Amino acid sequence: MSANTTTASTSGRAGFPAMCFAMAAAKHLSVLAVIIIVWEGASALGWIDTILLPTPTEIGRGIVDLYVTNRQIYGHFLITFYEAFAGFLIGAGVGIAIAVGSALSRRFRRYVSPYAVILNVTPGLALTPIIIAWFGFGYSSKIALGAIVSFFPVFVNALIGLTRIDPEMDEMFQSLGATRLQCFFKLQIPEALPLIFAGFKIAITTALVGAVVSEFSQGTAGIGVLMQRFAFSLDMGSAIAALLSMSLLGLLLFTIIELCDVQVVFWRREARRNEVSRRRQQRWAHLLKEKN
Amino acid sequence: MADQATTNADQLAKDDRKTGIGVVATHTAIFLALMGLWELAARGGLLDPLFFPLPSDIVVSFYRLYITQANIWWHLGMTMTEVAVGFVAGSALGIGLALIVGMFDRVRRYLKPYIVILEATPRIAIGPIVIAAFGFGWTSKTVIVMLVCFFAPFVNTLNGMASVDDEELAMMRSMRASRWQTFTKLMLPDALPEIMAGLRLAMASALGGALVAEFISANEGIGVLLAQYTGTLNMASAFVCVFTLTGLGYLIFRSMEALDRYIVFWTDRDRTEVMGRVRAAKWKGLVKEAYA
Repeated sequence: MSANTTTASTSGRAGFPAMCFAMAAAKHLSVLAVIIIVWEGASALGWIDTILLPTPTEIGRGIVDLYVTNRQIYGHFLITFYEAFAGFLIGAGVGIAIAVGSALSRRFRRYVSPYAVILNVTPGLALTPIIIAWFGFGYSSKIALGAIVSFFPVFVNALIGLTRIDPEMDEMFQSLGATRLQCFFKLQIPEALPLIFAGFKIAITTALVGAVVSEFSQGTAGIGVLMQRFAFSLDMGSAIAALLSMSLLGLLLFTIIELCDVQVVFWRREARRNEVSRRRQQRWAHLLKEKN
Repeated sequence: MADQATTNADQLAKDDRKTGIGVVATHTAIFLALMGLWELAARGGLLDPLFFPLPSDIVVSFYRLYITQANIWWHLGMTMTEVAVGFVAGSALGIGLALIVGMFDRVRRYLKPYIVILEATPRIAIGPIVIAAFGFGWTSKTVIVMLVCFFAPFVNTLNGMASVDDEELAMMRSMRASRWQTFTKLMLPDALPEIMAGLRLAMASALGGALVAEFISANEGIGVLLAQYTGTLNMASAFVCVFTLTGLGYLIFRSMEALDRYIVFWTDRDRTEVMGRVRAAKWKGLVKEAYA
């Protein structure tokens, strides 16, 4: 691998960005091609146990089978997406609500946070059988588990974000006579939002894990069920294709949160900040004129 | 980002630990009151004891599982061995590989896209494939824990190695430090906080990984016990298993925290002072000699 990367070392730093991107992509693709050829060769020579790790062609066949010939993945993909996203929404909602409560009231926080910490040190996935006994074999048990495992990252990030306020900022707000509500909406929330979104990003992946794990445990539909079925019938190519679909789903969920992050927390990104401030300037231009 | 979550969880736990005896007493009182309420609700028929076991039943089951039947010990030992072996093997592999890869800038660049994909994949999802490949026994669970523990240390070590300050590197070079010296004196200490964060993430998910592997299919281990108890709707015993896991998780959390403070002493101000004094005492003779 390292030998190959040294051959593809001519760096196209100058020139158009599009050219640069094409060059980089070409290099990455050539590396990938070499890996695949080596892998295929090693399997053909019998160095790799194909039950453990199927050949790239077998995985490719699995992908084509799942996405083009049989087209069975789409339904399962949507189901798992729904379970993970719904679980995330519930978990994150509860997490934020409790974090806001704890940030506003010391007493509330003191009585609630020990339970949150206990929930954190319990491996949430351990609750799978109990959740399934409570909520049944359908979607709701998957959503519940997703909600449980995605609660804590959001809660902790929101709480830390809401409470760790720069004391000088706080003093500034106090000296300008801001009410408690103003302080909360204009200072604490904007300060906390970047951290909250960081929490969302962790939570959305864990929600997916929760959904998939409870599908493994008991389920009738979803990528987890599909994958387990393939793996246990030793159709490893298709199993890995299902696994890759899971990565795709993970990336998709992550990207959704990332896009929201860019929209909401605009002030952390230079380009977005300039854009928003320009728009606001236009909107408020007449106010300035009136005043002058 | 995920490291942020661990440090935040730390912070929360630390904040909550600063509590007096009076607070502990109120907490206990509230906890007991809640349990009493639960007991009453269940006995009064508001909660179905088949699904929501009585607190008193849970206590009785605790006694039975740990002392009369004493069947939990064997399973607990099994799971802990899986976690310990898998964690040590997986994280050693992850850190070792990342240290080697991190020395070569170019290899790192070409690995990046694969790492992004791996990050998005729910790691436990590999479970059914590993079980199909390694069988239902102890090996497959250890391998799953190993895989779960591999990625976080690997990615964090790589990131830590990549984020070394250029000026510090130039400084090392201008003082004619050898490659090995640059590695041990600059890159490794610089990366250690991140490596430790990775280890803690790995450890946090190791227990969950082992449990999920046991849920999927196994004959022994606490996950099996838990699944059996819920399967037969013996919820009180299932809750004993969950609380045992909570205790285990708490122990793991605290010991990793202690390890973190011991190894990466310079991120905590108090610890830095202590270690500084210890080292000053140790090197006093050397300093005197140098000035004599």
